Amino acid sequence: MTAIPIKTRRAIGLASMRLCLCAFGLVAGLAMPAAAHKVIASVYASGATIEGEIGFSSGDMARGAEVIITDDEGAVLGRAITDEEGFFTFRPVAAVGHVFRADLGAGHVAQVRLEADELPRGLTDTSAEAVRYDGAQAQAQAAGAGLAWSGGGSAPGDVVGGGVGAVMPVEAQEALAQMLQDELRPLRREVMALKETRRVQDVLGGLGYIAGLFGLGFYIAARRKLDGGP
Amino acid sequence: MHIVDGALSNPVVIGGAVVALGGIAMGLKRLPVERIPAAGVLSASFFIASLIHVPIGPSSVHLILNGMAGLVLGWAAFPALFVALLLQAVFFGFGGLTVLGVNTVLIAAPAVAVHFLCAPVIRKGPARRAAVWGGVAGAASLAMTGVLVAFALALTGDAFVPAAKLVLVAHAPVMVIEALLTGAAVMLTRQVKPELFMKEAWG
Repeated sequence: MTAIPIKTRRAIGLASMRLCLCAFGLVAGLAMPAAAHKVIASVYASGATIEGEIGFSSGDMARGAEVIITDDEGAVLGRAITDEEGFFTFRPVAAVGHVFRADLGAGHVAQVRLEADELPRGLTDTSAEAVRYDGAQAQAQAAGAGLAWSGGGSAPGDVVGGGVGAVMPVEAQEALAQMLQDELRPLRREVMALKETRRVQDVLGGLGYIAGLFGLGFYIAARRKLDGGP
Repeated sequence: MHIVDGALSNPVVIGGAVVALGGIAMGLKRLPVERIPAAGVLSASFFIASLIHVPIGPSSVHLILNGMAGLVLGWAAFPALFVALLLQAVFFGFGGLTVLGVNTVLIAAPAVAVHFLCAPVIRKGPARRAAVWGGVAGAASLAMTGVLVAFALALTGDAFVPAAKLVLVAHAPVMVIEALLTGAAVMLTRQVKPELFMKEAWG
């Protein structure tokens, strides 16, 4: 023990009777959100596919994990394997809520749900439904084009206000969607990271609860003792 | 070390909750008034310990401190650690509410075990020897938690040996740190407040 004085001294400092206070000071002093080994998973529609990321809040990503995609009833819709960065894609076909679940071992299970209305548009409906939907969309597009360009030929690129979906050519729509996805991806990651930050007030709140709970217990026990109980 | 919601089958979750309830009741019964503040402080330490991260290689580990809690509290480690786990689940989403009972057993049962194994040695004898046993308690409680985690997963369907290996290897560095820390804490406590370990009545 004595052979490593600095480490030991630091350890003694931390583990002293005021362990809680020291730790409290450390956390408050650093004012730094600490990451824990919590599983984080997020999925979102990107173009015609669903993209997802699975990792730990410590910053490690889940590499080569098998993601099993099921519907709400548990019927398997498909599987995907995460890459080196914990990233996976899945092309949905059914317009139902998708549940993504990956077992990362050692009690770590990632499970996240994508609602039916958050699925990629257009591709979500199956069979007959899909055909009808596409037909309706094509009609609407034709009507929109006619309206925007006053019936005279097609002048792609010359977009003048109106509903973007109705006016833009399909390729431009796809390019725009792709661009938006690319722009939004870092933002999504940032939001996820923000959700996982633990702020000092949370830590203090927790400590306050502990103090309060044990204070209450102490009060009840002391009253019982004063009343001549056991 | 926290098992998350959905990783375990229902019988394991329910069984864990029942055992945890028993442990908490036992702990509350054996917690005299004058020990309540100590239980609170150790509960708070445990609550905070999971937030302090020690970077090791590409990953990072956090302390658990269940060995220290067990040495001081004995059975009372159950209610103390339960409260901390509950608040961690609510505030930070560690583990989860349905697996709270299982997590309590995984963390608190080894704490009680090291209390009965190591606390008698720590109470008497030279402080240096007590510190060594404190270190043993710190590492052993963590190892037992690891084995219990693997066991809980095995009950749900994972193969026991690989799961245990995975958990234990991942936590080997924490065991070393925790052994040093618990040893140092025991050494200091023996010097400045030996009566913390001296009460036999609640052992």
